Amino acid sequence: MTPFKLQIITPEKTFFDGDIEQVIVRTTVGDVGILKGHEPYCAAIGIGQMRVMVNGEFRRAATSGGIIKVSKDLTTILVQTCEWADEIDVTRANAAKEAAEERKRAANDAKELALAEAKLARALNRIDTASFLK
Amino acid sequence: MKAIKRRIKSVGSTKQITKAMQLVASSKLRKAKVRAEQARPYFNELYRSMCEIASGRNIQTVFTERREVKRRLFIVVAGDRGLAGGYNSNVLKLAAAAHKNDAEKPKIIAIGRKAVEYFAKRGYELVASYANIAENIKPNTAQDIANIAVDLFTSKEVDEVVVFYTMFVSSMSQQPQSMAVLPMTTAELEETTEITYDPSPEAVFNRIVPRFTASLIQCAVVESYASEQGARRTAMENATDNADAMTESLSLLYNRARQASITTEIIDIVSGASAQG
Repeated sequence: MTPFKLQIITPEKTFFDGDIEQVIVRTTVGDVGILKGHEPYCAAIGIGQMRVMVNGEFRRAATSGGIIKVSKDLTTILVQTCEWADEIDVTRANAAKEAAEERKRAANDAKELALAEAKLARALNRIDTASFLK
Repeated sequence: MKAIKRRIKSVGSTKQITKAMQLVASSKLRKAKVRAEQARPYFNELYRSMCEIASGRNIQTVFTERREVKRRLFIVVAGDRGLAGGYNSNVLKLAAAAHKNDAEKPKIIAIGRKAVEYFAKRGYELVASYANIAENIKPNTAQDIANIAVDLFTSKEVDEVVVFYTMFVSSMSQQPQSMAVLPMTTAELEETTEITYDPSPEAVFNRIVPRFTASLIQCAVVESYASEQGARRTAMENATDNADAMTESLSLLYNRARQASITTEIIDIVSGASAQG
């Protein structure tokens, strides 16, 4: 497959910048795969997994919300957090999950509940992403 | 003479402290500057994407809606610690001056211990306060803050959201600034390409706004933090210089006093000897 340029940018740093062959992201309306020559496209990304193909092999990453933007010679993914599956600290993710569950139980109002649920969803997504490695 | 000696000693130990603080601030400043720079591409790209969607489309969503401004929300970013020259008071004063003509005091989200203390003491309505997060703010924390602000705006509890922070111009100069976030304004881009939006331009736009708000808060916090370190470094540098100048004039005074006492002693001895002889 013909490679094209992909940039993944998070608020903390430029997470990835290089040539890839394919990227599949979980948008708010479902999984979307991008190959070279895709028409200009823009969609919002939810909490989910992303797969990037480099040298014929998929690399998996956990993302939380953002957007994907495809233009003629550059695809940009702007996400709040992004972590490669092999870099996820599973013990920490598990701890985060338990803490989020605890907060969910202790939540007093809708706001706190929504906050706790978002935290839980992020933690579960990270655990899930990491589990694909085994 | 004893008193002067004690002064010199105390100025010396103060100088040691200010010197140490100056060095700590310099090294923190270096790190903070890198973080501020790394936060910018994300912010710029998001802003561009929003402008792209809005350009030539006249997007009308809850986030662009301009209402008569009755109540505002101020997000104020100040430091957690003092001893940074005018850093804290400048940004707090700017925020206080900004609502002079409002009928009602604004709601406040305070970031940084100094901001929390300032607004709590003066009877503002604190929606949320965050202390000790500036040094290591996570995108998720910024998103939490942004969500509170966006909720207040969409539920019409506030009609405008403004961020107050300190812009990092250079290591020597920091500028307190205010920036209106909501309602959202976008610049009209001249060149636009036909882009397919999934599911619709409005939907994507509405998804971006909370992210953008979070990114803006993140940028404001890291930028303010760099400013704080810059301001502290300058303040401590001045303090160290002052201490040097003070030690110098005090030692001069001390030496004169010493010389004077020696002279009187000699005169005593000489006159005593001549009286005997």
